[in-house]
Amino acid sequence: MALPLSVSGLRVEGDAGRAILEADAFDVAAGSAVAIRGPSGAGKSTLLFALAGLVPIAKGSVRWGETEISSLKEDGRAAFRRAHIGMIFQDFLLFEELSAEANASLAGAYVRKRRHKIGEGARRALERLGLKGDDARTVATFSGGERQRVAVARALATEPSIILADEPTASLDRAAADALVDDLIQLTRESGRTLIVASHDLKVHEAVDCIIDVADGRLIGEVRRNA
Amino acid sequence: MLEAAIDWWSGLAPGIQDGLSFLLLLSPAILTGFLVVTGYRPFALVRAMLWRFRWTSLLFVILIGVSVGIGVGLIAQERGLRQGTARAADKFDLVVTAPGSEVTMMLAAVYLQPSDVPLLSGEVYNRIAEHENVSLAAPIAFGDSFEGAPVVGTTPEFVSHLSSGALAEGRLFAAHEEAVVGARVALDLGDHFTPAHGVGPSAEEHAHEGHSYTVVGRMPPSGSPWDKAILVPVEAVWEVHNLPLGHRPSRAEQIGPPFDADYFPGTPAILVRADQLWANYALRSEFTTAETMAFFPGAVLASLHALLGDVRQILSVMAIVTQVLVTAGVLSGLIILMRLFARRLALLRALGAPRRFVFAVVWSYAAFLIGAGAILGVVVGIVATAIISRVLTAQTDILIRASLGWPEFHLVAGFVSLTVLLALVPAFITLARPVVRDLRG
Repeated sequence: MALPLSVSGLRVEGDAGRAILEADAFDVAAGSAVAIRGPSGAGKSTLLFALAGLVPIAKGSVRWGETEISSLKEDGRAAFRRAHIGMIFQDFLLFEELSAEANASLAGAYVRKRRHKIGEGARRALERLGLKGDDARTVATFSGGERQRVAVARALATEPSIILADEPTASLDRAAADALVDDLIQLTRESGRTLIVASHDLKVHEAVDCIIDVADGRLIGEVRRNA
Repeated sequence: MLEAAIDWWSGLAPGIQDGLSFLLLLSPAILTGFLVVTGYRPFALVRAMLWRFRWTSLLFVILIGVSVGIGVGLIAQERGLRQGTARAADKFDLVVTAPGSEVTMMLAAVYLQPSDVPLLSGEVYNRIAEHENVSLAAPIAFGDSFEGAPVVGTTPEFVSHLSSGALAEGRLFAAHEEAVVGARVALDLGDHFTPAHGVGPSAEEHAHEGHSYTVVGRMPPSGSPWDKAILVPVEAVWEVHNLPLGHRPSRAEQIGPPFDADYFPGTPAILVRADQLWANYALRSEFTTAETMAFFPGAVLASLHALLGDVRQILSVMAIVTQVLVTAGVLSGLIILMRLFARRLALLRALGAPRRFVFAVVWSYAAFLIGAGAILGVVVGIVATAIISRVLTAQTDILIRASLGWPEFHLVAGFVSLTVLLALVPAFITLARPVVRDLRG
């Protein structure tokens, strides 16, 4: 089940209490795709990490459905990510020594109850992303585009209701980036997941429902494309 | 309750006690592993880390392995040396010499270490030999050699005693010119040789020109310096030194006792045997006088071993301390290594992996290095023990058969338990790292 996002009065502080991100209020409807846009250093990744509960929130709230993750302790936030969030990073962050399948089903190593289901989900996602037959190869032998697709499969394997992606196309060539964006949008729409992507990529901006503009650590606008 | 437990323990076979002690010593490691890893499957990631840092991991395993191997090897060697020296002195119940240092006399008479020692007279010898409780009184006269092998003058009875009644080949000497060689002497039956005067580099090769022996028998191996000794009639030793032959001229060709005190030139040591164990103690007391010193080589060895026992304790502590220090160094290296792996560990936490899982990954990696190092250490210990045993055997002529036993396995188990507990430290330190900063590299 997709989860809506509601953010209000968000403030993330860096060293010595300096604000590195401030956002008055914004909402993301369940099942929609949103891009966070802005120049380098504007705070796109920080906002994404705040939504994932990875950075401490000094003020305000981040609410996913009924869960106010900004009020959870670290273990609670980790449990929420485990259950509801799939994450994708710019430079893939895969375990190069492991196979595509082992990478995609990584969560099975620490989620005991859904281990079997995660394995199935990983195989299904790899197949859906065109990596069937390559799942036993170590990812060190993969191209950039293939690696990012393994990372997407890893994000999808736990069947999360939210996908958060940090510059997922930045390390890819144009063709691979386009293919990845298409896959990502299609896969999240098919399953009704909420997708939030921090990205410079115009292709991403064209594909999403809404764009949030960030500059100098502040939200400066919101563009709804397909509302 | 406690008494019942002690009784139960005492009633167990030694092998079972040792096995249980091993498990008991290893139990902290097993329990820690169970508590840390239960519910998770960190091994694929551990494998990934091992492969990524394969050369560093290998170096760590070798460092731990060598330190463990040296530790267990030294302790096993000490035990092997103790057993070897005891076995070499097995045939020497009671030794009578002139008063002096028991250790020096034992080294000379039992281990055939060259030494200048005073001689016992024929009266003394006869008093011992004619004692009602003495079944064997053999003079042991040394000082000559052949190509590094000591030539020892004694009696056929002593050769028979050393050989447990059966030579490996040939027969006992029956004439002044005959010799029986030890198992490792490079002479064959029928070979002739001329002894040198003295032992070692200062031996005078041609001092006894004109005197030669023929090898007529070979003793079985005993694992003692006597394996490299050449035994000849004590009368022949006196003869080549132009001394009286121990018997009046009318019996000049006699071999062995009884000796005539008036023609007895003297002997550095006399091996004494009594048929009854208690009699040995009485004889020791009786022959501990102003002109003689009687001692049990076993007792002298026991006091030396007691000293070695203290050394063993020190060695054990030093071995453990060294191993723990090496492991602490390795674990410190591991903390640095984890910085290189920090992005992947931060990724796990970003994906929502419980902190205990990340902890389990790091600890399991460290525990694997320690476990592999300990196993390698056992192998190194076995190899080192075999090599050192050979070297010591070659140097001392005492057969050292050192091998790893339960004490060494107990040491390894204690080491593993202690160090896997230490391995919790880098795992805790890893958890304290900032996730987002590590994620951004």
